[in-house]
Amino acid sequence: MEMNARQHKFGMVIDLDKCTGCGACMVACMAENNVPFKVDETNKRDSITWMRVYKLTNGKPYPEADACFLPRPCMHCEGHAGHSPCVSVCPATATDYSSETGVVSQIYTRCFGCRYCMAACPYHARYFNWWDPVWPDGMEKYLSPNVSPRMRGVVEKCSFCYHRYQLAREKAIYEERDEVAEEEYQTACTQACPAGAIVFGDLNNPDHQVARIVQPDAHHHFTGHSKIAFRLLEQLGTNPKVYYLTEREWVRKMCDQYNFGPQAAGH
Amino acid sequence: MKLDRRSFLSFVIGGAAGTALTPLPWKLTDDLSIWTQMWPWTPVPPDGAYSYVSTTCTLCPGGCGIQVRLVDKRAVKIEGTPGHPVNDGGICPLGLSGLQLLYGPSRVDGPLKRTAGRGAGRWTPISWDDAIGEVAQKLAALRGDGRPQAVAAISGSGRGTFSALVERFMTVYGSPNLMRPASAADACEMALYRMHGQQAMAGYDLENADFVLSFGSGIIDGWGSPVRMIRARSLWKERKVPLVQVEPCLSNTAAAADRWLAVAPGTEAALALGLAHVILSEGLYDYNFTAFYSAGFEPWRQMVLDGFAPDQVAQITGIQKDVIVDLARQFAKARAGVALWGRGRGTTPGSIDEAMAVHSLNALVGAVNRQGGVWALPEIDYIQWPEAEMDATAANGLQTARLDGAGLEPHADARSLAHRFFTAVAEGKTDPVEALLVFEANPLYTQPDTATVKKALDKIPFIVSFSSLQDETSAYADLILPNHLYLERFEDVAGPAGLNQALIGLTQPVVAPQRRTRHAGDVILALSQGLGTPVADAFPWESFEACLEETLGDDWDALVANGYVARPVSLPHWSSAFGTASGKFEFAGTYRPAPLEGDKGAFPLVLVPYDSMRIAGGTAANTPFMTKTVGDEILKGNDMFVQVNPQTADSLGLREGLYAELSTPRGKARVRIHLTQEVRPGLVAMPRGLGHTAFDPYLAHKGVNVNALLGPVDDPASGLDAAWGIQAKLAKA
Amino acid sequence: MSIKDDKAHAVSDAAAGKKGGGTILLFFILGFAASMVLGWVVFPQLLYSTKSQPFDFNHALHNEEVGDCESCHFFRQDGTFSGVPSLAQCTDCHADVLGESQDEAVFVQQYVHPEREVPWRVYSRQPDCVFFSHAAHVIKAKMDCATCHGDIGTSTSLKPYQENRITGYSRDIWGQSIAGFKTHTYDRMKMDDCAQCHEQAVEAARQAEMMDPVTRHFRQEIAPMIYPLDRQAAVGSSVQTQRDACFVCHK
Repeated sequence: MEMNARQHKFGMVIDLDKCTGCGACMVACMAENNVPFKVDETNKRDSITWMRVYKLTNGKPYPEADACFLPRPCMHCEGHAGHSPCVSVCPATATDYSSETGVVSQIYTRCFGCRYCMAACPYHARYFNWWDPVWPDGMEKYLSPNVSPRMRGVVEKCSFCYHRYQLAREKAIYEERDEVAEEEYQTACTQACPAGAIVFGDLNNPDHQVARIVQPDAHHHFTGHSKIAFRLLEQLGTNPKVYYLTEREWVRKMCDQYNFGPQAAGH
Repeated sequence: MKLDRRSFLSFVIGGAAGTALTPLPWKLTDDLSIWTQMWPWTPVPPDGAYSYVSTTCTLCPGGCGIQVRLVDKRAVKIEGTPGHPVNDGGICPLGLSGLQLLYGPSRVDGPLKRTAGRGAGRWTPISWDDAIGEVAQKLAALRGDGRPQAVAAISGSGRGTFSALVERFMTVYGSPNLMRPASAADACEMALYRMHGQQAMAGYDLENADFVLSFGSGIIDGWGSPVRMIRARSLWKERKVPLVQVEPCLSNTAAAADRWLAVAPGTEAALALGLAHVILSEGLYDYNFTAFYSAGFEPWRQMVLDGFAPDQVAQITGIQKDVIVDLARQFAKARAGVALWGRGRGTTPGSIDEAMAVHSLNALVGAVNRQGGVWALPEIDYIQWPEAEMDATAANGLQTARLDGAGLEPHADARSLAHRFFTAVAEGKTDPVEALLVFEANPLYTQPDTATVKKALDKIPFIVSFSSLQDETSAYADLILPNHLYLERFEDVAGPAGLNQALIGLTQPVVAPQRRTRHAGDVILALSQGLGTPVADAFPWESFEACLEETLGDDWDALVANGYVARPVSLPHWSSAFGTASGKFEFAGTYRPAPLEGDKGAFPLVLVPYDSMRIAGGTAANTPFMTKTVGDEILKGNDMFVQVNPQTADSLGLREGLYAELSTPRGKARVRIHLTQEVRPGLVAMPRGLGHTAFDPYLAHKGVNVNALLGPVDDPASGLDAAWGIQAKLAKA
Repeated sequence: MSIKDDKAHAVSDAAAGKKGGGTILLFFILGFAASMVLGWVVFPQLLYSTKSQPFDFNHALHNEEVGDCESCHFFRQDGTFSGVPSLAQCTDCHADVLGESQDEAVFVQQYVHPEREVPWRVYSRQPDCVFFSHAAHVIKAKMDCATCHGDIGTSTSLKPYQENRITGYSRDIWGQSIAGFKTHTYDRMKMDDCAQCHEQAVEAARQAEMMDPVTRHFRQEIAPMIYPLDRQAAVGSSVQTQRDACFVCHK
């Protein structure tokens, strides 16, 4: 509707050297987004965690061992001109890419559960509801009205807390402002992170912290300028909007495999 | 006219043609798809007006400011309070999922009375009047008998107005037997008492430190005030402040540290003294402090120089000599270096000597009461109530010896020795305990050697739990008088753990009580009324809220408005800084190799508990969300993995994922094996906080409670539990 | 069955056809008519059940007393819309019985005194997956309430609430016409009706841009060279549908 509004490209920078693996982002996300839980959540293949923190280890023997935690939300891949891997395969148009915000949507009522998108997503960021969610008696009281609870048979994933953008925009409209300020739209994980490891904002807006940190290079497939910045599985060309920072070379190597981008020279 | 086959077909075709021209098929398709998209059983959370209430989290001693998002009167989300001095908007997984406790299935619905054998889980709901009447009657009878000391109480937080109220109640009633659950904070306090001559808590000015040396403290694994610590560590990253972690295994903190020193377990104090040796012999210590403001420096110095040369220490700790020398120089030359003590989350016990050795290292480099160092923060003294009058019964009762031996020789400076209480009661070595009151504590789960705790509880005929949640201890009680949950009640949080500020936080009701609960403070007031003069006279307040408001006095309004008040801490002048006999800082602390419990032949390995931010290991237990974040290398189904080095596993013929029997002198458990290079060969690492038997199906019976396998070992120097591990054996199951 | 038998059948059927052509047509018409009655008359009766509101409400009267819609249906400070007033708002005036109507007595006795929220059935209630911003429509796009809600503000009594037995939503969402025809914007409130208006807005914006030759030249020729990956101007924000992105109206 807002035809003349500037194009946003909401993205995230996660500093892996600050991340402590505490899991606050995971829980903040679950609490914010009405994510269900089961009695047994130890089968991680059917455990729904929009934000999941993986543990990486360098594989060296004691005491040279080292570990690093890697939070993984949905990458909101832009692909080429908005053709993200998951969106391209959805036969139901239950997920689309917004050129206004750069957010990959997921409309649960539209989804019929074919799970092509899950197969297409190289980041395992999408989850399928194998069962109807069940909240123990009384616990549905804490459910947020801003996010629809899902039903059996649909796929769900991180939305960059899009409902927070919706609410922030309502407030901006009410106050007759054109734009939502940087601090007005922050995801739940960013807000909760005790380490301040997650930074969120508009990659298109040079005033936003994310853009200042990453300085995405439009002529090089939006890779970050910083030497310590990388994106997961860069060589797949998914053009994700989540950037990671780490000084630890073994982590960078493990995550982007050095097959693409400026570091790829000579490979 | 006959309805033959043709006519019938014709009728049907006509019907079909007609139907296609009606809205019926299209509308029905539409409606059915809407129905299947929005099943009636999928909840639709009601919308309303959004608002926030600021309060303080009490799920751990961290004292974070939280703001709870409400939709009309429903609490829908907990967030950290931006700008709060402790957490500035950050929040931990436990704090985030507090609403799962508030609205969850573990809540105790109302006062319950046991109807079958203990722990059988059969209860009958009773009225509050009956519940309070029953407790009051029991307490009155014991007092009438002249045996008030037969009532014992264990109270969780140990600080704040509610704890003071419990203490006052026990005093006026006439029992000295008030305990708090053991934690490393006890040893830390005792160390400060011995070295500073003050009842104080250690406050670490970490935001201003420029070199941090941690002796096993889980800086990002829940030590101190967890969110504040994680924030501080991010600050160090930005400022390039080095963090050195001394720890046998690669904890998250060790992985996050700039340098990890994989020390032999239990030899941390030796390393501290080895560093001291280098600092002393190279003259890198703070001359001013040692010369003018300390006592006992010479003998301590001599002890260090005699016994802890880097060569020797390298032998003991397994850390190379040049590493020790190098680290000592860096630490001493830092402008504001500080050393931290207290393993893991700070609840793992350790010896007082170790605490004092690390603290002496701080003193040596002048970090005591200095910017960027460690401060002794006296308890904030806002609880000023008139002295209560006691009758002869109370006076006599208070004269009796504490059942845990705290305050008596040889443990004269111990304030509470809960582990000794349970051992003594279990062994029947004390006068009988007739009643036990449990406030905000869950000893049947959190105390090491749960079997002994259970045995002790079996000998106590009347146990009253005030828990809001169905924890292990309340499941084993005779009466449950459920307290409001922290989101439903008033409470004050004084001086969060390890903080470098004098801070009082206020917890206030966010929602109306969800169950038939009552504030335990109000219940104490009611009990005192039930006991009559003179007990009742000591409690002139109408309600706990009134008591709290009066106690906090002028701060009340600011507390209600902001959720906290911060008082500036002014570091004391050296002349008044120490309350010791010499008026100076007393150097102390050494390393004594203390064998762990168990025969090394029968139990060749060592079991060590570890802490994780994703598993609440104390009185607060895991929420469903937290358990969901636990990795499948720790928990799979109900089976728990112990972390073992492949080298250890090889020697035992164990492989990844195999079932094994883990046994210690205190117990046995069936576990699975996870191989990792993060654990030192010879150790078996096990997370603290799983293996609950109570609470809800989202937590109960998942994994093993490490406390069932551990056992307390008295530290001869303090009487506190010093067992950071136990000898253990792993065998194929 | 043999070929002979088949032939025999065919013959007799043909004979019957001669005789009963009219009958067959009659049955066809009968079936047709019956299904038309079923589909157009009986089906709507079966599909909807008529539910009454807790008590009647006179919008016109309140409008007169209060003077505007916004006193009861207002925007909150955070930009969200209050929607149906809460009991607390009503009790500002209705602490006790005002006037003599039966409905007023019911309201005060059954809801005000026991402090129970009135369980109104909301004609415009949308499924949970819908995110509707009143601010965006009323404040930004300056639309009238009546565009979507019709003339409810001037009604003197609440119409019966017809609940769809399958979906549970009000008949007003699909519209009173079972065929789905509408004459006013507020006759139907399904996704297509939202989309219709949204598309018009996109088209209007496109037209407006193309009126200006400089803008047109820039948009069509220059912009794609500079920003090859950016969407074309004045196309809906969804890359896939060329309409507004799903998350504009969904949550």
